Amino acid sequence: MSSREANGALSVYWALLRNELRELFASRTPWVMLLVLAPLVGYSFIQAVSLFSDASQSAQGHPELARGMTPLDGIFVPTFGGLYLAVTLLFPFVAIRTIGEEKQSGALKLTLQLPTSVSALVVLKFLAVGCVWFLALIPAGFAVVAWITMGGHVYWPELVTLLVGHAIYGLAVAAIAFFAASVTDSVATAAIVALALTIGFWVLDFAGSSTAGWFARLSFLSITGTLKDSEKGLLAFSQIAQTLVFALGMLWAAVAWLPSGTTLARKLITVGVIVFVCAGAVAGAGEIRLYADMTEDRRNSFDPAQEAALRQIKERLTITLYLSPDDSRAREMESNVLAKLKRAVPRLKIRYGAVAKAGMFGPSNDDRYGLVIYEYGGKREESRSNSPREVLPIVNELAGLSVKAGDTSPFPGYPLVTKADALGIWFYVLLPALTFLAWWYKRGRQFDRGGTL
Amino acid sequence: MQALNTPLLEVKNLGKRFRRAEVLSGISFSIFAREIIGVIGPNGAGKTTLLECLAGLLPYENGTVTWQSSHLNGKSRKDALFYLPDGVIPYARQRVQSVIGFYREAFGASMERERKVVAQLGLDPVTAQHTGELSKGYRRRLLLAIALLTRHPLLLLDEPFDGFDLRQVLNVMAILREVVQEGRTLVLSIHQLLDAARICDRFLLLTNGRLLGAGTLAELQEKAGKKAVSLEEVFLELT
Repeated sequence: MSSREANGALSVYWALLRNELRELFASRTPWVMLLVLAPLVGYSFIQAVSLFSDASQSAQGHPELARGMTPLDGIFVPTFGGLYLAVTLLFPFVAIRTIGEEKQSGALKLTLQLPTSVSALVVLKFLAVGCVWFLALIPAGFAVVAWITMGGHVYWPELVTLLVGHAIYGLAVAAIAFFAASVTDSVATAAIVALALTIGFWVLDFAGSSTAGWFARLSFLSITGTLKDSEKGLLAFSQIAQTLVFALGMLWAAVAWLPSGTTLARKLITVGVIVFVCAGAVAGAGEIRLYADMTEDRRNSFDPAQEAALRQIKERLTITLYLSPDDSRAREMESNVLAKLKRAVPRLKIRYGAVAKAGMFGPSNDDRYGLVIYEYGGKREESRSNSPREVLPIVNELAGLSVKAGDTSPFPGYPLVTKADALGIWFYVLLPALTFLAWWYKRGRQFDRGGTL
Repeated sequence: MQALNTPLLEVKNLGKRFRRAEVLSGISFSIFAREIIGVIGPNGAGKTTLLECLAGLLPYENGTVTWQSSHLNGKSRKDALFYLPDGVIPYARQRVQSVIGFYREAFGASMERERKVVAQLGLDPVTAQHTGELSKGYRRRLLLAIALLTRHPLLLLDEPFDGFDLRQVLNVMAILREVVQEGRTLVLSIHQLLDAARICDRFLLLTNGRLLGAGTLAELQEKAGKKAVSLEEVFLELT
């Protein structure tokens, strides 16, 4: 491609992007989303501050209690929860209309003849939708600023990790919406398909957290995986890569399905190839054993010296739990011990042994219930504890590890007694009013000659 | 320069089905540079389907389409021809000037060209209106403006005179003749035979997805076995 051709292509891309943005903000959909988001995020933030403040009051003078007061859990995760709801339930409508309305009005016949490839068209539409996502961060951004102004503590790596999780989730939701808009003929049908998929992931999440069957095993496919990790302050690169592959696969399928001049058989074959390639890539990404614990209290990892020792384990460590996966003890052990071991031990096998499950109101009749068995190199240990303080010495002894505790200062916690009720007027009245005024201004604005924004 | 006896576009044995229904069958014809071809036929004859197959917007099962003797593929098709569909409202919430400006930029036309096209088509009074608010006639003019801003050698226009009164039709015909003088070729799908007879050099007569005749009015008259009759009479005789 000559430099003249490259300049020509760039000017076409620029014109297309500006047109997509104009089209997007000329509709009411993104404005409605932004309008709903301000009170939603505001309410979450005000409630979170209130609860955090109450808990902080109890923690005053009790360092043990204060250690549990982390702004990530107490403030930011609930505040950004409003964004999660809006992205799940409203963002698909914003994304769908960029393709769906053109299909419905017939204007796509003109768009497909523009001097650019279908993939470039889809990517530019995606970028325009991404701009709406960035605007959707405004209320949460104000909440963060308000928190800092109140004297609240922010550990930026945690917050950035949370943002990364939301960004990847938003990307996956938009990709699903694009695919839905591409394969259907009307905006309404596309919305049903997109919501069926996004809400379907909730079902997968629920199955993953409450059952142990094949359905639960599929829960790793859920696009909320990265978001859930980021809410714990964890960057799990395998999960990130899998979600990105899923999103790119959806976009690729949207690109393959969009051209109306391609036969159905050819589209199906192309999508089949995409599914095959992406399944391989997802499986490959699952092998990535790269994690970054971005939390200030290092809740996702053991002591650095212990972590380093665990990485040296050569043989397979097998842990068998005689517990129901939905038992609170199993869940606690999963988050406090097993999840950390999975990230540190190179060859780890965790399985749930068959036991008579505890009744709804009474204990199990099986004597083994609650037992956890550790096997390594022909050696075997048993325990009923789910605490890392007792589990780690067992693992160390089995594997012959000698670990000296590192010199790490304990996490102090950041309790804060404050009030955010006065911010209600900002989140419930002023921010929605500003959004409405921005829409009104945009609606009435005379666009420049030449189609500039 | 394209030799006059070498077809610009050649269609051989084109066939298209919608599920079990055969909507185009055995369509073969050639188009030469600087011609105005009229695709005529009753409603449901397959005129729009034919144009959309040529434009690559609909897949077809049989036949070949060549451009200057080379197979027409995705890239060469985008360079060679532009199809203007009927009944489309591009970007209904945007203003006419924004939409025209966008297509001008996308197709690399000059501002001068945009001003000329807007003036020729009498779009000045509505440039500040949203495209979704336009009357049928102005909507048609907007679509024609988009087609005229392209730089493709071949334009396929679906019902370009629909929604116009006689004076407007004559005005648009004059503009289209100017387009041909600039070196471009036109294929017009027209259901008003009087309009077709006024502007087209040759005709493709379609009915039930089959090509009943192709040629000048004189050639069609000969095929119909009637001399010195109008296109309407030829049409009634052949269909």
